[in-house]
Amino acid sequence: MLKKFKIIALLSSALFLANSALAGETTADWLLSFERMKNFKPVTDKTYAKECGECHFAYPAGLLPSASWEKLLNATALKNHFGDNAEMDAATLERVLDYATNNAAEKSWYKRARKIANSDQTPLRITELRYIKRVHEEIPAKMIKDNKDVKSLSMCNACHTQAAKGVFDSDTVNIPNFPDYN
Amino acid sequence: MKHPHLYKKIVASLCLGLACHASFAADSALDLSVPAASASPKSFMLASNDSGVPAANVAPAAAAEFSEPWMSGDKLHQYMGWTTLALVAATALSAPGEGCEGAACANAPVQPRQTNGAHAKFAKAAAFMAAATVTSGLIDHWDDFHVEDGFTDPDNLHAMLGTAGALMMMYAVNKSANSTVPVSHAGIAELGGVAMAVAIKLTW
Repeated sequence: MLKKFKIIALLSSALFLANSALAGETTADWLLSFERMKNFKPVTDKTYAKECGECHFAYPAGLLPSASWEKLLNATALKNHFGDNAEMDAATLERVLDYATNNAAEKSWYKRARKIANSDQTPLRITELRYIKRVHEEIPAKMIKDNKDVKSLSMCNACHTQAAKGVFDSDTVNIPNFPDYN
Repeated sequence: MKHPHLYKKIVASLCLGLACHASFAADSALDLSVPAASASPKSFMLASNDSGVPAANVAPAAAAEFSEPWMSGDKLHQYMGWTTLALVAATALSAPGEGCEGAACANAPVQPRQTNGAHAKFAKAAAFMAAATVTSGLIDHWDDFHVEDGFTDPDNLHAMLGTAGALMMMYAVNKSANSTVPVSHAGIAELGGVAMAVAIKLTW
């Protein structure tokens, strides 16, 4: 009986690993890595960081699925990017779009990106994602909209002190003017 | 001391209660008062690209100097999970011999059954720590579980595998502890340990 249970345990483990290995190209990387992948992959592309970061926080690409990035990052859409003209030359746009789509939610093994990918939503705004709404729904307006140092939920790095590293854990939240939040 | 085990159980219960309280402390410090204007379901969720702030024109505020708390509910849950895995490893390493099966048992020397050796102690500690880890996870991460997210959601999988792992460990310990003869319990215990390890990896 002892051997039987051991064999069952080993087979179950092997089955799980094999199933994971078939799921995607980066599965082995994820499986064998001890790197923490709980949040989002931080922005690593300089062009993306520069072009997006000039006006606002350069959001980790895993915050949206590739279909959303494709709707956002095209010449027509960028002429009116949430009320502003964010046009860029064709080569730069291609590079930014490539980076965003290649690191989009459904192509990432980072946990929060997988949660976003699982929602099957393709919104234009990150703040319209069900997951993002849910994890912020108990925060009163006085801490975000009416907080002069935050103003908007889209200002991730106003409260998430390690947002630039892709870390959005509650332990790293510091809401300006509300030091006791945590 | 007439009932030494009773005292141990009381101390263990107190430790568990303290651990749960620590993981809950962060919530009690939160100012939950909501201004009247934001009391409606829609108002808190300003999903605020729509709140009149032109996001593309406003430079993001620099986060103030901030250091993480040395201990939190999330950290406690994490440390307890690692401790559980360490205890599982210690239990496996301290396991007595392989025993015997079938006809081989006829010739096997009869060994006195040990129920309070290092293996048994590690096993009980691992099962207890697994239960405490699951409890702290349920308390601190309750808002992360959502049935609507489905079976493949990493947090849901983490919770299911962690709970299943803890239950398997407790079953194995109970099965062996309540038997007067050696019984096969390693497979289910190992499966529980693997489930715990996979649960950790899924949300690591």
